[in-house]
Amino acid sequence: MKTEPAGAERRHAVRIRGIAYTYATESRSVRELAACGSLESESSVLEGFGFDRVHVAVEESPYALAHEAASRLLDEQRVVPESVGLLVCGGTPSAMAFSAATDADAGAASLCTVDRFRYPATRLQHELGLECAAVLALDQLACTTLFGAVRVAHAMMESEGIERALCVASEFYPAHAGREALYNCTSDAACALLLERTDESEARNRIVGAATITKGYYWDAAAMREEVVASYFPTAVHAIWRTLDSAGWRADDVDWVIPHNVSARSWEVLLRLAHLQSAKLWSRNIARRGHALAGDNFINLRDAIDAGDLRPGQRALLFSYGYGAHWTALAVEA
Amino acid sequence: MSPCAKYADHGDGTVLVTGATGLLGADVVRRWATGGAAHRLVVLVRDRARWELAAHRAGIAHGAVIAVDGDVTAEGLGLSRDVRRWLAQDTTAVVHLAADTTFSRPLDVSRRVNRDGTAHLLALAAEWSRVARVAFVSTAFVAGRRTGFVSESGDGAATEAIGWVNAYERSKAEAESLVRAARNDWVILRSSTVACDDMNGVVTQRNAVHQALRLFHDGLAAMIPGVAESVLDVVPTDYVSDAIARLALRGGIDETTVQLCAGAGAMPLADLLDECRAHWMHDATWRRRGIALPSLADLETWALFVQAVEETGHPRLRRVTRALTHFLPQLALPKRFETRHADALLGVSAPRVSDYWGRMIDHLQRTEWRGVAGLAEEAA
Repeated sequence: MKTEPAGAERRHAVRIRGIAYTYATESRSVRELAACGSLESESSVLEGFGFDRVHVAVEESPYALAHEAASRLLDEQRVVPESVGLLVCGGTPSAMAFSAATDADAGAASLCTVDRFRYPATRLQHELGLECAAVLALDQLACTTLFGAVRVAHAMMESEGIERALCVASEFYPAHAGREALYNCTSDAACALLLERTDESEARNRIVGAATITKGYYWDAAAMREEVVASYFPTAVHAIWRTLDSAGWRADDVDWVIPHNVSARSWEVLLRLAHLQSAKLWSRNIARRGHALAGDNFINLRDAIDAGDLRPGQRALLFSYGYGAHWTALAVEA
Repeated sequence: MSPCAKYADHGDGTVLVTGATGLLGADVVRRWATGGAAHRLVVLVRDRARWELAAHRAGIAHGAVIAVDGDVTAEGLGLSRDVRRWLAQDTTAVVHLAADTTFSRPLDVSRRVNRDGTAHLLALAAEWSRVARVAFVSTAFVAGRRTGFVSESGDGAATEAIGWVNAYERSKAEAESLVRAARNDWVILRSSTVACDDMNGVVTQRNAVHQALRLFHDGLAAMIPGVAESVLDVVPTDYVSDAIARLALRGGIDETTVQLCAGAGAMPLADLLDECRAHWMHDATWRRRGIALPSLADLETWALFVQAVEETGHPRLRRVTRALTHFLPQLALPKRFETRHADALLGVSAPRVSDYWGRMIDHLQRTEWRGVAGLAEEAA
């Protein structure tokens, strides 16, 4: 057993103790989505970019998905709900959080009524029995919501001495909203993370580095499509390199790149630009799951661990981009 | 040295110049016209109005040069019978600058001007008994996809097996071969890419370099082909035109190839991008946008990106990548041009790119990229 030298300051680290997720029950193939007009690009283009199927919420509301993912996580981890000191929620705007995909317009309309104060984050605290948890909600981070939640939770755990935090994100696309975001095919899902402070240097899934870059110039993604595509790659490279630097890693030290499930082609390009090996991309969920705004990377992290691919002590790099525009990455020692 | 001696030798008769309406050609002719050389200057022009404008801009005195109508793409250069007879009697040197320098042309179009035009000129020169010099202004990028040291010789040019980045390079390499095979009084003057007029960084004629810079500036280029050792070899107009004026007619250098390039003074690509960024950061509006300069990509990565853009079918993005594809892949084929012969003959090297690059960047921005189309203008 390793021991610290006498008098050495003990350092608290934050680790991801557990991850659980829930996808919408129904699924569609890319061709089915194209046939019903839900895609902008040809189905062959999106298939060429690595997409096959996505999950589509029909009956489920974002809240229902979030509740299921969070409940499952607490059950799996056998955590007493009262021990959770912080709940950070994000994803679908709160006005639509209780609506089914087919009824999203009505949900959005509630913004103009007193119903706007019906919040999913506090409801989740209540229904999960998180009586001791401070509650925060995040918005406007798109596909980086769960990274933002981890960032906030990590900071509060360090500054306020919170031992456990639950981060939950849930997203869906309203029925008529289409299923394509910048050449990526989208899925509906929720993902929950349980963060925990630890003094053990060997603890699993420790967060050892992070970086986030936000460029408000690109706030209007639809109007700045070309600029967004052009800025994506060089800024992603910077975010990845900063994260590696903050973890004290070199590109060669990364055992697995855990992606957000955007086009496999764009990952191929990005990995080459960042001097990371393509073979290290854990990409098997891109085809079968599609891109869930709620937190592909953490869903993939869980699946990579469960599959035995990401083994204890290995180094995982998680990167995601979100409209707005945000580029963010985490370094995790499994 | 008198101006006359500076530009003498084969120029004591009539010198026929093609491409005199271009930036380089007009400046070369101006140097000869005002240099007091004994020769008579005849320029081949397709469009007299364009020539007069070019001559006026270059400061060439009216009457100092004789313009004759013609076109290098035509057999016999399209000269009238009388003019052809007269030139056949008097011409002692031919200086061939005419070229289609557009990188994006299809090969057959590039060949029509660059290769076939040269063939037409060589055929006439072969008929003219007094011609003792054919000077061919080429491009250093006949080296094509060759990497590493590029010698000032026929070996510097790429071969079919090595390949070229665009049709311009290939058609010029083919033209060089024609010149070498046709006679033994040739001089080949290979110019690097012209970036600006002079050390002050003034840009009169915009080209692919400026187009690429504007796309970088506007945040529209995700990546550029390049590797750690990549350099950008460019030269100012005044260096190249002075060199051509001094070497094209010089005696004693038959069958010589010189490279008018920055050579050892080329600028590392990473430094060049850093300098762009440093200059653009002075503009608060640009700074606030947080634009990331493009990543360096190897050719395989660049090809993957271009393929993805092609597949998405987004017309404006496609236009950007296509525009860059005809030129930028050179940057991922690092090469260092030999300039030993040029330096020795001229007694001076080309200026280091880093000595004027910043001024050129400032000039482009100060003039609001006038003449350099951005994405919005292209789409309009």
